[in-house]
Order: sequence, then C-alpha cells, then structure tokens
Amino acid sequence: MKKLSFLMCFLLLFGILTACSSSNTSSGGTSTSKSDQKPVYGGTLTIADLNDAKGLDPHKETNAQSFHYIENMYDTLFQYKKGKYGVIEKDLVKDYKISKDGKIYTLHLYNNVKFHNGDPLTSKDVKYSINRIKKMGVRAQQFEAVSSIQTPDKTTVVITLKQAVAPFLTFLANPMNAIVNQKVVDAHGGKLDQTDAGSGPFKLVSWKKDQEMVLEKNKSYFKKGLPYLNKVVFKAIPDDTGRTTAIRNKELNIDLQLSSKDKLLLQKSPGINVKSVTGTYWEYIGLNVTKGPLKNKDVRDAIAWAVDRDALNKQVKFGQATPLTGGPIPPGHAYYANLNTYNKRDVSKAKHLLADAGYPKGFSVTLKVGQTQDQIDAAQVVKAQLKDVGIKVKIQQQEDSVFFNALGKKQFEMTIVGWVGFVDPDEFFYNIFHTGGAYNQQGYSNKKVDQLLDEGRVTMDQTKRKQIYEQAQKLIVEDAPMVFLYANNQSSAMTDNVHGFDVNPTVTTKSLESTWLSK
Amino acid sequence: MIKIWDRFRHNPAAVGGLLFILLLIASALLAKQVAPQSPYAMSTTARLTGPSAVHWFGTDQFGRDIFSRIIYGSRISLQVGIIAVGFSFVLGTLMGVIAGYAGGWIDQIISRITDILFALPDILLALVIMAILGPSLNNLMLAIGIVYTPIFSRIARGAVLNIRDSLFIEAAYSMGVKQYKILLRHLLPNILSPLIVQITLSFAFAILAEASLSFLGLGVSPDTPSWGIMLSSAKDWMELSWWTAVFPGLAITLAVLSFNVVGDGLRDALDPRINNGQ
Amino acid sequence: MGRYILHRLIIAVPILIGISILTFFLIRLVPGDTVTAMLGTNYNPEQAARLRAQMGLDKPVIIQYFIWIGHVLCGNLGYSSFTDQPVLTALLQRLPVTLELALLSVLAALLISIPLGICAASKRGTAADYGSGILGMFGISVPNFWLGTLLILIFSLHLHLLPSSGFQSLSKSVPGNLLSMIMPVIALGTAVGAVTMRSTRSAMLDVLEEDYIKMAKAKGAGNLRIIWKHALRNAMVPVATIVGIQIGYLLGGSVIIEQIFGLPGIGQLALQAISNRDYSLLQGTILFVALTFIVINLAIDVIYGLINPRIRYK
Repeated sequence: MKKLSFLMCFLLLFGILTACSSSNTSSGGTSTSKSDQKPVYGGTLTIADLNDAKGLDPHKETNAQSFHYIENMYDTLFQYKKGKYGVIEKDLVKDYKISKDGKIYTLHLYNNVKFHNGDPLTSKDVKYSINRIKKMGVRAQQFEAVSSIQTPDKTTVVITLKQAVAPFLTFLANPMNAIVNQKVVDAHGGKLDQTDAGSGPFKLVSWKKDQEMVLEKNKSYFKKGLPYLNKVVFKAIPDDTGRTTAIRNKELNIDLQLSSKDKLLLQKSPGINVKSVTGTYWEYIGLNVTKGPLKNKDVRDAIAWAVDRDALNKQVKFGQATPLTGGPIPPGHAYYANLNTYNKRDVSKAKHLLADAGYPKGFSVTLKVGQTQDQIDAAQVVKAQLKDVGIKVKIQQQEDSVFFNALGKKQFEMTIVGWVGFVDPDEFFYNIFHTGGAYNQQGYSNKKVDQLLDEGRVTMDQTKRKQIYEQAQKLIVEDAPMVFLYANNQSSAMTDNVHGFDVNPTVTTKSLESTWLSK
Repeated sequence: MIKIWDRFRHNPAAVGGLLFILLLIASALLAKQVAPQSPYAMSTTARLTGPSAVHWFGTDQFGRDIFSRIIYGSRISLQVGIIAVGFSFVLGTLMGVIAGYAGGWIDQIISRITDILFALPDILLALVIMAILGPSLNNLMLAIGIVYTPIFSRIARGAVLNIRDSLFIEAAYSMGVKQYKILLRHLLPNILSPLIVQITLSFAFAILAEASLSFLGLGVSPDTPSWGIMLSSAKDWMELSWWTAVFPGLAITLAVLSFNVVGDGLRDALDPRINNGQ
Repeated sequence: MGRYILHRLIIAVPILIGISILTFFLIRLVPGDTVTAMLGTNYNPEQAARLRAQMGLDKPVIIQYFIWIGHVLCGNLGYSSFTDQPVLTALLQRLPVTLELALLSVLAALLISIPLGICAASKRGTAADYGSGILGMFGISVPNFWLGTLLILIFSLHLHLLPSSGFQSLSKSVPGNLLSMIMPVIALGTAVGAVTMRSTRSAMLDVLEEDYIKMAKAKGAGNLRIIWKHALRNAMVPVATIVGIQIGYLLGGSVIIEQIFGLPGIGQLALQAISNRDYSLLQGTILFVALTFIVINLAIDVIYGLINPRIRYK
C-alpha cells in the first residue's frame, strides 16, 4: 500500500468541541459592525477555550485544543484564508511557483522575518522544520511524498515531490506545520512542550497549566503594523457554565467555542456578540462492518433509515446543527455533494430491510461512547429511536483514553463520535474510508471507493476532482459504514469591543493577529 | 431486643428516617406501579418543562419524566447500598475477626493492608478502582465495597481483641469448645452491635459514593436513571430548568439523611451509656 | 513523645511502599494506556509502538517499577507522560489551590461549628439545641456536589454575584481570589462543620457532667467562665480527633469540588491523570496525597497529645 501523505486531520477531537448553530449569520445583542472604524493599538484581550493546551510543540500535538494556543506563536508557509472555508493564501511565502506536473514547489520567503529570540527565519529553518515534522511522526504522512528540499539561497525553498499531491498547499497551511527555530529546539533537548520557538505575532510570557497562558506582542513581527493587541491571555475553562458566566461578567473578551444552549443564552445578553459559521466538526454513528449483523449492508442501511436526524438535532443540539442526509462534507463547502439520500426517517423501510437481512425481530448491539456530553446524549436518543425497529442498544460509556483505544483496535460494534478540522476532501475521506486507511475504524472496504480516493489525491483539475469525490460520497453513503448525523456550527461569543476576530470553521485563533479592542 | 426497640422508638428523628427508608424500599420494589411513566420514555415536545400536574418534578432535556426517574433511581441506590455494604461487611468482618483472633503475622498482614487502604481518601481510591474495572453498575458496587472493607475489618478486629481475653472466652476454650464454635457462638454476637451501626452508616456512604462517581462520569451507564447521573447532566441545563438539579439532589440528601439518623438512633439504642439526650 | 513520632514514621514506610506498589501495578491493569490517550483517534500501531519505546513502557513492569521507585527516592517523581511537565512541578503548581481550599474550609467550619456546638450543649434540650441538631444532620448528609451545584445555580446563574468557575491566584488579586473561593469553601466545609459541631456538643456534654465542673459550678463560677476555662480545653480532645478524620474527607471531597468549580488543584490533577492514563503523574499524585494524609494524621496525633498530656503513647 502506498502510504504517501496520509493526511491527518488537524486533529481529532478528544471529546470536546461542542460548538454549533445554524447559519452563517452573526447575531447578538448589539451587533453593529464597526469594521469601518480605524483599528486601535494596545490593550489586553482575554480569550477562553474549553481546555488547556497539553503541550506547546506544534509538530507533536494531536489535540485540537492545543492548536488554538500554539498557532499564535508560530508562522506557517501558507495559511487558511480568513472568512473563506477551504481557500489557502500565502503567509511566510511572498510568492511561489508550482511546476505543471505538480511535483516541484518553488517558494520565496519574506526576508524580514525574525524569530522571537531575534534570529532571522531563513530557508534552512523551513527545511529543518519539515524534516522535524517527518521525524516527530504525528503529521509525517503529509510529507511522505517529499523527496528533497533544496535551499539555493536564504529566502528560497524548492520542495520536490515523488508524485503530485493535490492537497499539498492545504498541508503547508496547517497551523501546526509551523516553522520552528532549530537553535531553540536544540537548546531544549529537542523538546518544545513548554517553550516557544516561533516567529508568530505573539510570544510566550508565562504558562500556568490549567490556569492561564500569557502572550505578548511580537514587536518585530514581519507583517507591518501587526498585531494590534499588547497582550493576549488564554484561559482554560472546561465548564460551559463557567465560560458563559465569565463573559457575561465581562471577565472575558472571547468565548471561543459555545455549546448550542449557551449560544442561545448569550445571544440575549447585552453587550455580547455571537457569531457562527458552518463548522468542520461532524458527528456520525460508526458501524463496525467486520462482524455481527452490521456486516450486512441492509442492516446498516436500516439503521441509517431508522435514525431521525432532525429529532436528534433538536434534542441534542437545540436544532443548531446542520443534519447530514448525504456525505460528511457540509453544505457550503466547495466539495459538498447534494445527495440527500436519507432525506426523511422511514421506519417501515428500515423494518423491511431488517427482515430481508434475516433480522425481522431486530438484534442487540452495544454502542460505545466517550466523554463528550453531546455524544453521550445522542447515544441515548439513538437508543430510543432504534428501539422502534427492534434493535436493542446497550450504551457503554468509557473514558476517552479507553474509548479511542477500543476504536483504534476495532473493538466496538457501534459508536457515536466525530471528526473535526478537515479542509481538503482528501482529508475527509482517504484515511477513514480507504481500505486499510489509518483511521478506517469501521473496517470499511470498497474497491471502487479506493480507486476514486487514489485518483482524487493526485488530480489537480478542480472540476474533475469534484466529480470524483461526489461519486465516492455516493458509494460511501449507500454502503453506510457510517451513519452521518450532523455538521456542527462553530460559534464564538465576544464582547462588543472586540473587532476583527474571525469565527472560522476550523476553530483557529490565528486572526488574533489582526484583532483589536475599541476603547 | 425489645428494650432496644423501645429506646429507638423514642427517638423521633430515627423513626422518621426509618419511615423514609421503608418508603424508598417500597418505591424500589413497586417502581413499575408507582412511576407514572417509563423512566426512559423521551418526548420531543415536553422538553425541560417545569413541575406540573402531569410531570410532578418536571422533565429533563430529553423530555423524560423526572419523578419517574427518581422512583426508578431508588432501585439503583438501594441495590448499590445492599450489595456494596454486604460485600464490605462480609469481607471486612471476616478479615477483622481472623486478624484479631489469630494475631501474629496474619494480623500484621491484614492490618497493614487495611492501613494502606486507609491512607487514601475514599473517593480517590474508588476512582482508581473504577478506572481499572471500567464504568458499570457491577464494578461500581465492587469498588465501593472494596473502599469500605477496611472500616469493618478494623471494627471487627478491635472488638475481637477487646473480648478475646475476657473470661468467658477463656472459660469456653478451657472447656474444650472448638475454635470456630467459639467464634460463632460467642464472638460474633458480641461484636454485632458496633457492626450494625456501621452497616447503617455505610449505607449512607455507599449511596453518596454512587452518586459522586456517577456525577463524575465514572459510574453507571449514562441513560440509567441514577440520581447521580441525573444531577450530573442537570448541571448543563439548570440555568433554564432548576428542577432538573433540585429534585435528584433532594432525593440523595433525604436518603443519606435517613440512613444517618437511623444509624445514630441505633447507636444510642444499642449502647445506652452514650446518651446525648437527643 | 519523640519515640512515638519515630514509631509512627517507621510504620508509615511500609504503608507508603505498599501504596507505591499498589498504584504502580494496579494502574497497569487498566485498559487503555498513555499512548492511546495521547493519540486519540489518530491511533495507529506503529506510531504507538514508537512512543511506547520512547517512554520506556516496553520494558517489563517490574523493571519499570524499580526504575521509578529509584527515581522517587532521589526526589524525582518523573515526567508526566501526557504533557512532559515534571510531576513534582505539576504537584507544586497545584498544591496552593488545594491547600487554600482545604484550610479555608476547615477554618470556616471550625469558626462556625465550635461556638454552635458549645451553645447547643449549654442549652441542652431546648429548641435551639434540637434545631442545631437537625442542621448538623443535614450538613452531614447533603452531598457536597449537590450543594456546590445549587450554589452555582443561585449565586452565579441567577444573582450573577459570584464566578461559577475558575481560580484567581492569591498573588494576583486577593479579593478576586476570595470571591472565587466562597462557594467551593461552603460546599466543602459544610460537612466538616456539621461533624465538628456534633462532636463539640457531645464532648462538651460529657465534660459538663464531670465532677470538677460540677464543683466549679457549686463554687459559684459563672457559666461562661466554666465553659472557657475548664470545659472547652478538655472537650477539644475528641474534637481534634474528629477534625483529623475529616482531613481524609477534605482530600477526597476536593476532587469533586475542584471539578465542579474548575479549580486547578491536586484533585483535578488526579482526575486528569486517571482519565489520561498518565501513569507517572497518577503514581506521583497518589503517593503525594497518601504522604500528606499520613503526615497530617501524625500532626493531629501530636496536637492531640499537646492538648491532653494525660494520653500515653504506646
């Protein structure tokens, strides 16, 4: 099996992201846009997230929470464009060229970039960083196709790939594929867990685990005039209620991720703006296709028909998520396929399918969930819904560490869990649905799908690529190794003196570099 | 016996507690008849509705009837109480009696084991055991049982030591009565009264421990109508619906309170020398 | 006295060794391990094996134990396998929070409960006595996590008076710190106060029955004078014991209270360590808690001896 760039998502959710809501609109108590105002310098902005960072090494972390902290200290070659889901733009790169066959990337860097300790950032650092990413393992697959990196001069990097990789720019824009300072890495024995080795808009001042992290302005940031803020304070407040109270008391400026319930509550609060966009966090019922009744496609289809996505959305998400009646790519994304396969719950169809499959009276199955409250809640509703077609569900809740272990080893029958952070369609499908894919926990295998996914990975032509993924989605949805439930929206709340903060589907906090506080 | 009951009867708090315990037992046995609805029945329309004639204690975020879930919850609490306390009583007493009676290195080993278990706060110990066993009702009862075993062991050992050297045991021994018979006939009845008090109090602890662990997400499975689980999920919703947090907590408090006052009453009744006049 | 302390310390050694063995080996029976917790859904066997080798988790468990205990004896509790933070640093960073929570709880509890207990004893049989009795029983029975939840519901969500979660360090803002501590202290301290009040009352009653108090009364000493001069000192002996016993409750209760109020203390650390299967952190935390527990109990025993010199140490 070719193991080229196994892309990884930015992350996997440790059970946390709760955010959602319905449309790409902003709403709030006093939602007057002041974007036409002139930015003001100075001030301290306090932002709260669900959990503290585990560690600060961009090349090592797998936990989405950590990214929100790390990304402000580092720069990447490319970045996700503010306000445009899936569009990539230049960051450290001033201009670049991709050869026709998609194998050679020539990148020219800005020449005025300095690391926080004063060292200049050069092409050598880029080379070192990519090699370090490969060595650290977590996102190594994204760079497996790299055959050589040349540094003809201080600001030029030439990356040669063994074969074309369609999502390569997306990988380079991943905030965790950051450029680090080799000197700082070496000075800390190769570990960056507690240090800052970046060149980003803010630098690390102090970090008290599970209390707060203080970042201050990088005065020699290479983007002229940025950042506006003097200081950013990150607080980890795992408790939803704790964050809501804190922002209502104006102890916070930004509450990064809101649950559906808190979104509704905060919309009514004076002086607070709530913004939401369709997020990248999608949840599903995973079905292990390698054993028991779930081996049978009809049985899986029956489950897909028996599940009432609208009711789930209402009961678990306050109607704030977007139900997925087709594949996992949410509406609004460039590769969305309007399949609408399971448009409405159909209990009698589900019963027929079960009878045809030889289970007229249903069967018993165990559903495993981790510690994410929304998923625990969804499990209870799904249990009640599947009871209507005779499937008896037993819910088994496990701690995340045990739960993910079981998923990885396919020691489950049914599960409810989610993925987050995907941008490129390859990220949505390859690892999860390709035969033997790194995260193919369902044990799904379909030759036709494999072929399409391999093709999609190397096809540079947009329209062709779109067709390929539409076909793949159709097959996957019909085979139902997963019953897709909904895509959550990403909602943040901010006090009305915060300007320029981008509520992004990928939950990035990168836009803090151009965020400012009005007096 | 009658004297004990007589003394107990004159303690109004203890009698009240006993009545509430009987009520709990009745509701656990007759849950199906008493509960107005199934504890699992969801409703998309009646979500988070306040207390009313239909839903006495209101409904939770899935539209489940909280009153019915509390009724069924008494089953979980009592089951955990009976099995966990039964486990620790049998094992602990056995360990304590053996240690006290045998003495020597056997006593040393058993006492050190109880010391080790005692040196950890009970909730922390139960948490670690639950992490090892994995969350489930059976494991929960086992974990709580293990945590409270050393208490019984210590009480039993102490009581055995107290009377081992007393005259009537020596007399029985010199008359050639077999060891186990001495244990059964003379020792156990004499150490029973402190143990009975401890059993009642442990019941209160066990109910609390189940609720605490379930509250932390390391207890029973999430759709079980357990008071701790109900309270834990209510935390997210209580700003909109106070009843989700108030009633399950009240149930836990009253149950624990009842076992505590009955334990207290029993202690006074069994040992008339300690009489606080309450 | 010195010999007694020495004796107690010697007994503590096998207990600590026992705890270290117990936690070390039991934790390894737990399904799931640090590596899977770290990788989450990104789990794949090759990478997991590489990480395990890096952390020395591929060695036999016995060897791992001796390596660990060797380091512990040199004062090195190892590194958290999850965050790479030194375990000792993590513990010391969180100790002040738990310490403050526990001390304030005990302090508040004693300040309220001892006068109440004395009052109840001196007015034995009156309505005030019964009232405080009922209050005490309620205080013992009410689950701290429910009390905490109710406090949040009332004071944070409805009255918007107090922060429902989070910790302000004392060095940063004293009033802010105290505000964030009010509700946790009430939730945790109530049971301690209730128990102390009950034992103060019964200890006072016992002492008031003693002949020398009766004599003092017969000699015409005023009620208050008797209580302060004679009764209280003697009644403190059983009260000290009860407070000692409560330390265990405080350490355990702080696990739940810190979780509810989002306080970054030792209890929260222990929960995280369990949840992340962070072996070295969990071992370190449990050892630390057990050691604290043993030391505090010893200290209480010593105080006990100081209050009541009649106690003989065997």
